[in-house]
Amino acid sequence: MLALLDGIKSVFEALGRVHRLLPWLVAYLLLLPMPQVITLIFGEYYVDLANRACLFVLLSVGLNIVKGFCGQVTVGHIGLYAIGAVTSALLALNYELSFWISAPIAIVVTGLAGVIVGLPSVRLEGAYLALATLGLGESVRIMLAVTPELGSSNGIMLIPAPAIGDFIIESFNHYYYLVMTAALIGIYFSFVILRSSTGRAFQAIREDVIAASVSGINVPFYKLLAFVISALYAGLAGALFAHMPPGFLHHNNFTVIEMVTLLLMVVLGGIGNIWGGVVGAIVVTVIYDQTKDYYFYQPLIFGVTMVLLVVFMPRGIGGVIGQAIVRRKFIEKHEEQNLGAT
Amino acid sequence: MKHWNKILAGVATGGLLISATAALAGEIRVGITMRMVSENGQRYGQMVMDEIDLINKAGGINGNTIKATLMNDECKSDKGVANANKLIFQERVHLLMGSTCSSVSLPIVDITAKAEVPQIIPHSTSAKITQKGSAWVFRVPVSGRYYGGVNAKYVGENIGKRIAYICAADAASQNECNGLQEQMKLQHGVDPVYVAQVQEKEVDFRTHMQKIKSAGVEGLMVSAQAETMSRALIQSYEAGIGSGVRRIGASMASNAPVPKIAGDSVKGVFYAAAYASADTRPIAKLFNEMVSKRYGVHAPDHDFSQAYDMIRIVEIALRSANLELSSSSLKSDRTAIRDAIANVKNYQGLASGPISFCADPTPQCRDGNRTPVLIAYKKGGEQFETEVLARVTMPIDFGL
Amino acid sequence: MALLETRGLSKNFGGLQAISQVDLKVQQGTVHGLIGPNGSGKSTFFNLITGVYKPDPGSHIEFDGHDITPLPAHRIAGLGMARTFQLLRLFSEMTVLENVMVGNHCKTPYGVVESLLGTSRVRDSDRQMREEMLELLEFIGLARFADMPAGELSGGQRRLLALGRAIAMKPKLLLLDEPGAGLSPVNVDNLMETILALKERYKLTVVVVEHILKVVMNTCETISVLDHGQKIAEGPPEAIKNDHAVIEAYLGRELPDEEIRKAIRGGVTAS
Repeated sequence: MLALLDGIKSVFEALGRVHRLLPWLVAYLLLLPMPQVITLIFGEYYVDLANRACLFVLLSVGLNIVKGFCGQVTVGHIGLYAIGAVTSALLALNYELSFWISAPIAIVVTGLAGVIVGLPSVRLEGAYLALATLGLGESVRIMLAVTPELGSSNGIMLIPAPAIGDFIIESFNHYYYLVMTAALIGIYFSFVILRSSTGRAFQAIREDVIAASVSGINVPFYKLLAFVISALYAGLAGALFAHMPPGFLHHNNFTVIEMVTLLLMVVLGGIGNIWGGVVGAIVVTVIYDQTKDYYFYQPLIFGVTMVLLVVFMPRGIGGVIGQAIVRRKFIEKHEEQNLGAT
Repeated sequence: MKHWNKILAGVATGGLLISATAALAGEIRVGITMRMVSENGQRYGQMVMDEIDLINKAGGINGNTIKATLMNDECKSDKGVANANKLIFQERVHLLMGSTCSSVSLPIVDITAKAEVPQIIPHSTSAKITQKGSAWVFRVPVSGRYYGGVNAKYVGENIGKRIAYICAADAASQNECNGLQEQMKLQHGVDPVYVAQVQEKEVDFRTHMQKIKSAGVEGLMVSAQAETMSRALIQSYEAGIGSGVRRIGASMASNAPVPKIAGDSVKGVFYAAAYASADTRPIAKLFNEMVSKRYGVHAPDHDFSQAYDMIRIVEIALRSANLELSSSSLKSDRTAIRDAIANVKNYQGLASGPISFCADPTPQCRDGNRTPVLIAYKKGGEQFETEVLARVTMPIDFGL
Repeated sequence: MALLETRGLSKNFGGLQAISQVDLKVQQGTVHGLIGPNGSGKSTFFNLITGVYKPDPGSHIEFDGHDITPLPAHRIAGLGMARTFQLLRLFSEMTVLENVMVGNHCKTPYGVVESLLGTSRVRDSDRQMREEMLELLEFIGLARFADMPAGELSGGQRRLLALGRAIAMKPKLLLLDEPGAGLSPVNVDNLMETILALKERYKLTVVVVEHILKVVMNTCETISVLDHGQKIAEGPPEAIKNDHAVIEAYLGRELPDEEIRKAIRGGVTAS
């Protein structure tokens, strides 16, 4: 299994040496026929499930930037998701803007909201920060619940699906190309960020705030930046969710339960591990769908899973695999060194 | 080599699935999505499944059996949408039943309209559901647009015009709260004395109660889901608002937890609903007995009765529909079921009045029941008692 | 010329005077030692001049011609002040190479937005920086472990990496907080050699806080002694060795000169 992953990894690395974008292009081409494959093997409903998984991938990858890279505990992410969704929906409904205009505006608005959610991080850490962001996220939901203009009890309905000219992107398959592309671009930029000076600054803050600041990193600025970037992801996911047929938003899609599910995705996949977040999002979405009949046990199962993960597998699936690969290389290096010495 | 095996296995499974679908001919597939987060929700979900079982055991529908898939939407729109998609595109159901929450039924109406699948709603009151103009949706319960009118008429004539309102944030509560306020204005020309918007699961109403007490009102409407409504009713007495002020409940007051939690505070509470367990007709007595025996529920509320009526209407429609039920006839079978439901006229069931549908995709045709019944609690607690105050059949265009 | 100068530097932690009215000058191009018993305020002094703590009003810190008293830590770092920590504070989940690249953060030629978009300029300059940093790792002998998480290194390697991270900032002034703590005498000697080599190579001014007196005595040109937050002595090693206030502060009692010299030469560590 590990060897297989390692093999895939080295194939993609080899492709990357030809051109840095080539692995992404290949991945994209491999993902293109997925709706047909999924429909053939599992049925067309599972394309819808894949679409939802892609939204969660975006959310989880975005959350990983602030939580995984930068180490800031946030429980307000679902509120940002809601802001992105509602902003794009209202722009489309009230001002008749096309998705291609309303979504970018929604992303920017969500980014600004990210500043607000991130502000407590300048002063607070750990559980206190979690509480502050939880409050902000939940207040977004309550705002939606009590403001008639924001949907309140009836929700926002008939949000138009995105269209290119006269072609409306509304079937599961067509929407798949939209959300899959968005998710893949999201993952790509997540890697770009991780490998840039900004990504290193985030990680340095996660590892040691004081060491980061004396290394010349403007800690409050980068913390806020991490919140803003993750908010951009949430905004994009939100806009895609809002316009996904049947185009309906209701405040009870953005509760603490959804937030906990999102956290589980990141923790299961591996905090700070991009592919881990992707795998976590897909695994949790699929398991959630397949265990629907056991609704009453779901929170219990998820709670227990979370506790077991934190105790026995704090780095999640991605972390365990990554660690194994690193260990192997490390041992090789030491062996080389020993051979050199004798 | 290994991987090829897996891929082959996958393709084989896919093939099996396809041939399995073909073998399903002769089955009428129905999908049900309901809120089953409460004990009662679980029970009427079970009741729907049991009733379908009974139909099958008695020989099915014209020799065909009904295959039902029950899903829980937790009263969340995203879950309901996922359920509907799964039922329509994966289970390929001929008919969708659901949901019990307006906020879930609303988006599903758009899905069934586009996928051209008949949808019958057991319990969602939002007037907007049938106003969307879908030709595929049918509503068994009384639409919210009627409740406001009935309540306002009774309140204005029997209680008074100085009314305070406590409105919870959920869809049904908001609709009924606003409905009564609008109708009080239209019918009697009065504005509310006091309106409190509260959270869906609010626990503390004392400040509001004190203000309402000092405002001096003749009636107090509490529009909220069962637990919240019960708490508000209890706290209204604790705050010293005497029994001279009549309590007006929303239709959710019919839910069994209200008299149980609110106890004596429920006495005198009046509400409009689609079913009264105090109904003296034999069919109602039999139904009460059945529910009590099978599910241990004393005096079932209109969630139960409407789910039951829905099944009966579906049964009538399916028996009259000309169904081919082959793998290629899904589209025409769905249309046949839709038309058969639209042909159901004057169904006399548990509901307080006859239920009729017609072919036009309008609220007039698709809001089947327009006879709310006015009910008052005589006694609270586990063995609560109610009485029927009146039945009012509303004009078909009312509230549009 | 003084590269670093403090005037009236004070810090009070809720009633505890950790540093009191310290005037100190560090001359350009020297190795300056800072010694004192435990709790004398050496680490607080470092934390104050690097901006980790805010000094009390009335304090004044000047670095390379700038008044850095009110500046936050990252701005001071940007002016060319680097430090190590007694407890190292490595970014242990990040690779060895990434650790030194974080050190190089201030020298990043591209802006934040550019870094997020991953433009070709970012890639080119990152590649160049990577090469430069690998060269540095080569110099301190860690190039082989460039791709390993820093947390996997051995104790001695970690100390080297901490040093490397500070050097990567291309600082004018390097502050070393007990670089030899926990090392065997032989390793301490090696480490000091490396530090002196780095000083020559990168034209550094160095301030060393040390417990091991021998290290300070052998490598420093000037030594300042802190006790209870106050500077009690300053001068070349020879003068310090014979300063009675220093001896008292360290050993807590008057000793015959002979015994003290013996103790200091033998590398006594105060505890």
